[in-house]
Amino acid sequence: SNMRLILFFSALAGASWCLETFLDFWLHPSNPALPVDIRVPFPSLQSVKVFLESHHIEYSILLEDLQVDKKKQEMVNNQRRERDTSNFNYGAYHPLESIYAALDGLAAEYPSLVSKQEIGKSYEKRPMYILKFSTGGTNRPAIWLDAGIHSREWITQATALWTAQKIASEYGNNPSITSLLNRMDIFLLVVTNPDGYAFTHTNNRMWRKTRSKNSGSLCIGVDPNRNWDAGFGGPGASTNPCSESYHGPSANSEVEVKNVVNFIKSHGKIKAFLTLHSYSQLLLFPFGYKCTKPADYNELDTVGKAAASALASLYGTTYKVGTICSTIYQASGGSIDWSYDYGIKYSFAFELRDTGRYGFLLPASQIIPTAEETWLGLLKIMEHVRDNQS
Amino acid sequence: MQRRSAARLGPLLLLLLLPVAWGAGPEPPRADGELQVSSRLAGQAARVALHYLNYRLGSPSALRALGQVRKATVKTIPGIGHKYYLQFTTEDYKSSQNVGTCLATVLYLKRKPRPAVNINCTYTKDQKQTREDDYSFYKKLRQQTKPITGNDIPDSYGHIEPALEPAWALAVAGSSYLMWEKSTENLGYFMAQVKNVKQWITKDDSIDFDYLVILHEIPTQEMISCHLRVIWTPGHPLKVKYFCLSENQQSESEEGSGTESGSTNGIFNEEEANF
Repeated sequence: SNMRLILFFSALAGASWCLETFLDFWLHPSNPALPVDIRVPFPSLQSVKVFLESHHIEYSILLEDLQVDKKKQEMVNNQRRERDTSNFNYGAYHPLESIYAALDGLAAEYPSLVSKQEIGKSYEKRPMYILKFSTGGTNRPAIWLDAGIHSREWITQATALWTAQKIASEYGNNPSITSLLNRMDIFLLVVTNPDGYAFTHTNNRMWRKTRSKNSGSLCIGVDPNRNWDAGFGGPGASTNPCSESYHGPSANSEVEVKNVVNFIKSHGKIKAFLTLHSYSQLLLFPFGYKCTKPADYNELDTVGKAAASALASLYGTTYKVGTICSTIYQASGGSIDWSYDYGIKYSFAFELRDTGRYGFLLPASQIIPTAEETWLGLLKIMEHVRDNQS
Repeated sequence: MQRRSAARLGPLLLLLLLPVAWGAGPEPPRADGELQVSSRLAGQAARVALHYLNYRLGSPSALRALGQVRKATVKTIPGIGHKYYLQFTTEDYKSSQNVGTCLATVLYLKRKPRPAVNINCTYTKDQKQTREDDYSFYKKLRQQTKPITGNDIPDSYGHIEPALEPAWALAVAGSSYLMWEKSTENLGYFMAQVKNVKQWITKDDSIDFDYLVILHEIPTQEMISCHLRVIWTPGHPLKVKYFCLSENQQSESEEGSGTESGSTNGIFNEEEANF
């Protein structure tokens, strides 16, 4: 009789197309041992009841009237969202809407420290939100941190969100971050590529690029980390719109990149540009577009090694430190090359866990350990910036 | 008339441009000698050696991942290619525990398609234990009356269903063959995901799986889909067949049956690398 149930529901689903009863399966038939949940529109209620009863199929009504309950549920959800930064699960991967709700939650929970700003919209018109951590002053020197420029690198958005909560909660408790925030601001862009991130949830978990249309091609998207004005169009970026490392038609052609560039330029006092990628466990500094050492090589290498050492101290996770070109590969049009050439000396890129076992599909159980260890590395760099910025 | 022929040339021009875009760098080392252990080329060569080892050992319980490169040098062999001499540590693929050190040479040949590998490793895991683990893998899979099928392993959240772990481990072993064959001095691979797995129940005593795997290609960042057929009997060479689909080129295996050039101090003592 269980088998019959499945067949019945398949028939019913089929029948619904013909008879336009518009049955909406909330729990699809999958296994004879499992129940099936159906939302039945009011006009079809009688006929469905008759069908079930005449075939001796047991049913129970879970919700009498969805309309009423839906409104109630929404209110409860909204209230819960407001209250719940302490209950927000930082150890899980979240869709874009939830991340944005968490940003609101942090700003609401730490109103004297954290504020949310929009720096522009993505190609598909999604807002790009930064969090500003500031204890006051006017246009203080600041540190920039971004994540998720490559949308499939989910550990980066998750780490950035955890970091936001960490910064907010550590102010007043950790002397280092407290003294930093008493002198400098921090700007944090958790989702640099929101269109791509949404796409990794709905269509293709491995999507990397933006979602912009390329004229003359059926292929979509530009690699946002080949689109910066630093050796643009040089080696290590593709001219093929179908490629994962397509640099785009021109530097800053991607609105997501342009929005960040505009923000940095108009702020005028950004002293460090830090960006999160995954995977490979590397701490990188310029250059990527050319294989020569930057003028500040010694200092950046020293700071980088200190940061990697601090990171490793927590769980033994080892990072390699070096220039992009010598450590990972030559790649033109990258963000930290642009920021460095623009005058932001402390430009670093992290490639977070792991080294290839799970790659982009890093288990959620590793989010918090990754964020915790990365925090130690970030703090090391930020302390150096705090103590050395001119 | 003109427009049509230009359109036809377009894709061809792009295909020609692509190798140029990548060929300019990261340059293979011009000077012979010691490499920085953190250099990408050293790590890449070490990984190639491990792909070869994992394939040849054909043991899902003894899969190894790269730990740290301890020493790397490269030599140009005129007219033949670049030969890397490597010393690196290895980790157990599942537990990340350190399981020993390897000495390997990897020769990227100018004319032959796949790198020639010579690798010797110490192994600190109890080999009797791994043989037993392999055998219980094998027994579990042989006992299937219904063929194992699955999608997205790991899933988007990095989760692997415990019931699908043996199938995933075998995919790693099979993909190792594929990744070894496809690797060049500049192109490296990781197995990103098993998109699809289907077991064939066989009448003989082999384990037979059909996979669709996604490889992550470095430095191009492309995701390459490959069909993979893996036939396994513990203690025997892994039989692997594959067919890859990619934007710009397709690659296909000859029958992989454990007789390729290269050598390891694993179970197989046959031919030395022929270079």
